[in-house]
Amino acid sequence: MKHLSLSFAIMVAPMMCLAETPNALITDIVDGHILPRFVALSDSTQALSDAAQADCDPTSDTLRAAYGTAFDAWVSASHLRFGPTETDDRAFALAFWPDSRGATPRALSALLSKQDPIATSAQDYAEVSIAARGFYALEFLLYDEVLMAAGNPGYHCQLTQTISADIASTSQGILDDWQTTYAFIMQNPSPDGVYRSDTEVLQEMFKSLSTGLQFTSETRLGRPLGTFDRPRPTRAEVRRSGRSSAHVILSLQSLQDLASRLVDDALSAKLSDQFERPLSRLFDLEDPTFASVSEPQTRIKIEIIQQSVEAIRTLVRDELGPTLGVAAGFNSLDGD
Amino acid sequence: MKHAFLSSTALLVAFATPALAVDKAEVLDTYADIAAAKYGDSLTTAQTLQAAVNALVANPSAEALQAAKDAWLAARVPYQQTEVYRFGNPIVDDWEGKVNAWPLDEGLIDYVDASYGGPSDENELAALNVIANPTFTLSGVDIDATTITPALLEETLQEADGIEANVATGYHAIEFLLWGQDLNGHGKGAGTRAWTDYAGGDLCTNDNCDRRAEYLVAATDLLISDLEWMSAQWADGGSARAELTSNADAGLAAILTGMGSLSYGEVAGERMRLGVMLNDPEEEHSCFADNTHNDHYYDGLGVQNIYLGEYIRVDGTLVSGPSLSDLVSETDAALDAEMQNKLSATMMSLGRIKTAAEAGFAYDQMLERGNEAGESLIMGGVNGFIDQTRSIERVVTALNLDQIAFEGSDSLDDPEAVFQ
Repeated sequence: MKHLSLSFAIMVAPMMCLAETPNALITDIVDGHILPRFVALSDSTQALSDAAQADCDPTSDTLRAAYGTAFDAWVSASHLRFGPTETDDRAFALAFWPDSRGATPRALSALLSKQDPIATSAQDYAEVSIAARGFYALEFLLYDEVLMAAGNPGYHCQLTQTISADIASTSQGILDDWQTTYAFIMQNPSPDGVYRSDTEVLQEMFKSLSTGLQFTSETRLGRPLGTFDRPRPTRAEVRRSGRSSAHVILSLQSLQDLASRLVDDALSAKLSDQFERPLSRLFDLEDPTFASVSEPQTRIKIEIIQQSVEAIRTLVRDELGPTLGVAAGFNSLDGD
Repeated sequence: MKHAFLSSTALLVAFATPALAVDKAEVLDTYADIAAAKYGDSLTTAQTLQAAVNALVANPSAEALQAAKDAWLAARVPYQQTEVYRFGNPIVDDWEGKVNAWPLDEGLIDYVDASYGGPSDENELAALNVIANPTFTLSGVDIDATTITPALLEETLQEADGIEANVATGYHAIEFLLWGQDLNGHGKGAGTRAWTDYAGGDLCTNDNCDRRAEYLVAATDLLISDLEWMSAQWADGGSARAELTSNADAGLAAILTGMGSLSYGEVAGERMRLGVMLNDPEEEHSCFADNTHNDHYYDGLGVQNIYLGEYIRVDGTLVSGPSLSDLVSETDAALDAEMQNKLSATMMSLGRIKTAAEAGFAYDQMLERGNEAGESLIMGGVNGFIDQTRSIERVVTALNLDQIAFEGSDSLDDPEAVFQ
């Protein structure tokens, strides 16, 4: 079977290369998918920082709304874990999760109880443990029953403002790197460069797609699901702010956008159909925090959503990868 | 099919490749021979540990405890070099958690300092303390632990309640029983468990010395039986060897999958970079014994010696044969040179961490917030591992293995699946 499909590839290849070179495809993804997401992240995190400066009350509607918009922007870009997001551990500084050992509440409690002066400057704050930085730490300060009221109110306010400013600064750094160097690097591979060929660039993009799908399936959905006998609703991502299901939707929509730019016409309809399945089920679920993983009747609905994301992974690996001539390569989820 | 030309180019290259002098089957044999040697060395050094543990329990003394610690440290040298066999070989993955699971909530096993805290949101059993409690309830079931046996550790306590941090067996459980908690935070020094934790009668400290000894002996016995089993899987006719060699390309992909996954996701990511980013001394791989610098070093050495097909056994003899390096060299000599250089650069970086630690700059200190020298040392190792992973990916592509590597056991179990 393998030989059949490969010879077919040889027959059609010459015609198809004229239609679109990989470089045009790379440009489309950089300009149409990547850059708009990091512009949105930079803008919305600056707005978050401004909102925190104006009103640091954890229950402030404007602060919480700005937080939600900025976090949405991050989740939509969260699969792009290479280059500027890897530099200086920026993606980790924005998003440390899952946190299976409770490092985030522990680190925040320590800062609050000691009134650690490092929180007086966003610049200094970049030295702090990633557990106390980024969107997931801010969620505890804004939504956790204990931590939203913990410590000296003045210090709590300053910590909220500093974490918000640190998020904005990190996001600005990512955008700057993309605009000044990395967009060029991806579109101009060279033998001495980060990427030696268009194929290596395409592999990076393909890897983002496959790793993003893996993370959403195994972690965003898999952690709260646990096992049938031992579901783990308290492990759902950002359940305190009621955003768990929304994150799965946002990530799938963003991954669908990336996938649609990578596929050819033959696969396009199939892939679109495959993405529709988990998305429509998520819209129907009406369980923002996946709390119903413990109830057999609703649990099965979430299991089916996870299975439909797994089906996309399989399609991407077995059909899209060979079409592109690349494989997923290694990713950060390979460890145990 | 807009990018199908890439596949056709690859195909043309494949047709143009001359018959290779290096036999893939021989490369796999070398890999399996080295596995047999490494697991064999892990077993013999663990047997030395067992003798030292038995001597400690029979005649507790400061000297006997130190001898057991020394034996544990020596046993880690060959074992860490086997970690490169994980991720690519399902038989190793299914087994590995029993001997080297980490991190652990040590309060499951024995007494801990008050600063440790009690049961956590993630783990209700984090402070169970089996040594102090002959009977207890676990997920609603009454457990009789009046006698601590290998079976109790393996079947009841290990990963109790489905939580991976409930580590009851393996090197790190033994490490905790020999060293105790490291309460120095970011300061120098390992755990300081007194030998009197194993003493009889009135000399016994922290209570339950008999049960502690029973636990230590049971965990060590279990380690031996687990290592015996894995050594047998790699011997002639063993099932790990048979599975590896059943399909030459899938076998080569398994080697590279192990090299890449250990380098990137596991050691560079989970073990090294996360610790620096969290500034947390609990993120040390061997946090009780302060042996983390060696864990990383020998993990890196394992990746390098698999590629080069050369392993120095604990008795000093060399096991070697036709290697992946030889195979790559025939296909693309420049890529082989690149791969060798990257592996050497990683070992240089890991050597810097090791020498600094041995000279007194403890790994805990390197992790402290604001310690730039420490961060730079550790990130040197991280960057080496990440950089060599890119070359490992290139090797996968150069050997035309990219549609069967990377997906771990799923596709290795069924290499044809990806072509369907």
